[in-house]
Amino acid sequence: MRLAGEVLVEEDRARFADFLVAVATTRDRAAFSELFAYYAPRVKSYLMRLGSDNAQAEEISQDVMVTVWRKASLFDRNQASVSTWIFRIARNRRIDVFRRTKKPDLDPDEEMLLPSGVDAPDAQVEAMETEARVRAAMKHLPREQLQLLQLSFYEGLSHSEIADKLDIPLGTVKSRIRMAFRKMKTDLDEE
Amino acid sequence: MSRVEMMKVRSGHNVDEATRAAFASGRGGPALGLLVHSLTEMRGISDLAAEAVAGAALECENSTELSPHALDLVFAAIERGPQPTTKRSLRYSELSGLPAALVDAIATAERGRGWKAATRGVTQLQLNLPGRARAEIIRIEAGTTVPRHSHKGQEVSLCLVGGYSDGRGAYGPGDVSIADPSSLSDLARRLC
Repeated sequence: MRLAGEVLVEEDRARFADFLVAVATTRDRAAFSELFAYYAPRVKSYLMRLGSDNAQAEEISQDVMVTVWRKASLFDRNQASVSTWIFRIARNRRIDVFRRTKKPDLDPDEEMLLPSGVDAPDAQVEAMETEARVRAAMKHLPREQLQLLQLSFYEGLSHSEIADKLDIPLGTVKSRIRMAFRKMKTDLDEE
Repeated sequence: MSRVEMMKVRSGHNVDEATRAAFASGRGGPALGLLVHSLTEMRGISDLAAEAVAGAALECENSTELSPHALDLVFAAIERGPQPTTKRSLRYSELSGLPAALVDAIATAERGRGWKAATRGVTQLQLNLPGRARAEIIRIEAGTTVPRHSHKGQEVSLCLVGGYSDGRGAYGPGDVSIADPSSLSDLARRLC
């Protein structure tokens, strides 16, 4: 995984949000295909990184994209970026699949709601600003702190799993994550 | 409001950045995972800062190509529409409107050990989830006062139906309270 490279610029994020809104409002297949081309291969990598084999990752990725289509009307561009919104779908879907392996009769898509605009307008603006600020603050983090945040929040590894993976002491993992948080918090408060 | 139902997850672990990570990544074990899932479905809220880190990471993720016909398969699945789901009847009908995964866990627990009386006006249902953290549904009749009590480890409570208040605040459906405010005020503020 590349680390916090400026892979997407804000214009790209705005374009993806436009696509998702188009899916919601006009069932735009071309817009959906653009989202699919960008996100489906990344979701598949995410699932394989977390231990799915190729076949399972393929199936869940397709399910995630079906959910993106069906729940597009719940996307609120003031609440989250498309990336964060799709990450939540993939994460929740993965949780569902692992629960479903015991009970194959349950359709975990049922009533699956995703973050929608229920907050006051001020809170919505705040949510989107928080996300942009977090991304900006991430750029100022030293590479090793950023890597730890991603292993922790994205891959969901425990502190001791991270220590094993990177072959560094557990105390170093804890202190670097704490430092990263403190740095991000300072950046957020200064804005 | 006639009653309140809460889901509680208890764990012996400290709740800190590691638990925030578990919330955000969904790898906090089945009990916390179900609570997070229910919370995001009920309120559409979560730990935005932690999830923004994950969303940014997804943008940096490698591409693993899907099968050549994946997009066609997805459009075909979209056209088939949602599959019919199994409806479950629960002992307390007001719980059937909760997120599907939680309803399923409740139905499974009712077929197992079932609801147990705790103290006057309070019944509880232990959810049969693997992992070290324990999850249970607490049902409290209206007007019931639960004596001040303490417990080992950390406790995260999600109000499902009705409302209640404690020394720190009042809670309605979708509100979360966390038992150790000293270490968790930040998380609680973000979640509530």
